[in-house]
Amino acid sequence: MSDPRSVRLADSSQGAAAEARGRKAAADASAPDTQLAIEVRTLVANGDLEAARERFAGLVSAHQRRAVRIAYQYLRDAAEADEAVQDAFVKVFGHISSYREAWPFEVWFTRILINGCLDRRKARARRDRWFVASEEATGLDEARYAGSVAPDNDPEARILARERRARLASAISRLDGRQRLVFTLCHFGDRTPREVSAITGLNESTVRVHLFRAARKLRGLLGGKS
Amino acid sequence: MIGRVRHLQEDRLFDCYTAAQAGELPDPRSAAHIADCTECRARYDELVQFMDGLRQEADEDTAAVFTPETLRAQQQHIMRRIEHLGHPARVLSFPGRVVRRHFAPAAGRIAPRWTAAAAAAGLVIGVGVGVVFDSRNRVAAPSPLAMTISRTARPAAPVVSVAVEAPVADDDAFLSEIETVLGGPHNQELLPFDALTPRVQELLAGLR
Repeated sequence: MSDPRSVRLADSSQGAAAEARGRKAAADASAPDTQLAIEVRTLVANGDLEAARERFAGLVSAHQRRAVRIAYQYLRDAAEADEAVQDAFVKVFGHISSYREAWPFEVWFTRILINGCLDRRKARARRDRWFVASEEATGLDEARYAGSVAPDNDPEARILARERRARLASAISRLDGRQRLVFTLCHFGDRTPREVSAITGLNESTVRVHLFRAARKLRGLLGGKS
Repeated sequence: MIGRVRHLQEDRLFDCYTAAQAGELPDPRSAAHIADCTECRARYDELVQFMDGLRQEADEDTAAVFTPETLRAQQQHIMRRIEHLGHPARVLSFPGRVVRRHFAPAAGRIAPRWTAAAAAAGLVIGVGVGVVFDSRNRVAAPSPLAMTISRTARPAAPVVSVAVEAPVADDDAFLSEIETVLGGPHNQELLPFDALTPRVQELLAGLR
């Protein structure tokens, strides 16, 4: 597994090529969320924070579910995913004045979210090197999962579902760092390879290669044809 | 003439799947081949089934952990945190009644330094006095309980037994046993620590 540091995304200020790809992906810069982000930025600039927060709640509602899915599938830890998503939204609001329409809002937001997730993975790897890994997080996830399953769900189905989750998590964790990132964004984050290219700064053909290799490896690990 | 049928490579099939997912047009030749070739069609269907299953499992997994209530709570957390953005941190005065005047930052740093020095001095004095009194008490009245390790019954596993009024010979046996163990091949690294540890005999002699 490659070092997560190696796939940390460049800042929006870096990489003219990445920005060009972002512009290409920004064919739909007039998307409602992008317009909303521009409105929020204007309101913040005018000092009308109350109205800015109200509008920002709309952005949170629009992107929260997808953000949670990406963060959870990437980090495989509910508490960390929760914090990563919260941090990303707070950071976006705090830096909304630096938002430029050249990037669609969701590309900008996903970039911030993914950078936060990468930092968390790095911190977790450092913790695991020095301390004994805790079962607390897994236990919390299991408790949340068990609590959310309908009570009439029979124990056998619950056990099978848990085993499936464990297999999927294990298979995803065995992907190379970039493969995992690209696969998570494309398959769980509903992004096209072109959008992932804009988010990550990777070449679009490189994204397609990583995506194909990730899918092939997962098919091999999860019992499909490789 | 019957030509050899060339099936699509896995990456071509996957490109078709990716294009379909992104709402783009797939490569026309690949699309035509999938439409004509039964085997490639079956492979493509299998790929789609696998990828969709993976996606569905992940969706269910996330939805089970992040329920609508959790998402609502998360949204409230985010809005609360955003409300406090840019506000200076609220300072709680503690203890509220005692602290009545505001110290300059430099003066504020001096007081804890004195407190820390006094606390450290108190600790050192306390430990010193405690050690002296403890050693005197030990000399005056030896502890009625003595712990010995007996290896007579089971040599492999040392048995710890507590004996009342244990004889001095047992203490010697205990100490010699420790020395024997320390002299073993795997305990060389413990010898410096052993050298640093004061011997009971020496302490007793010093006190006499």
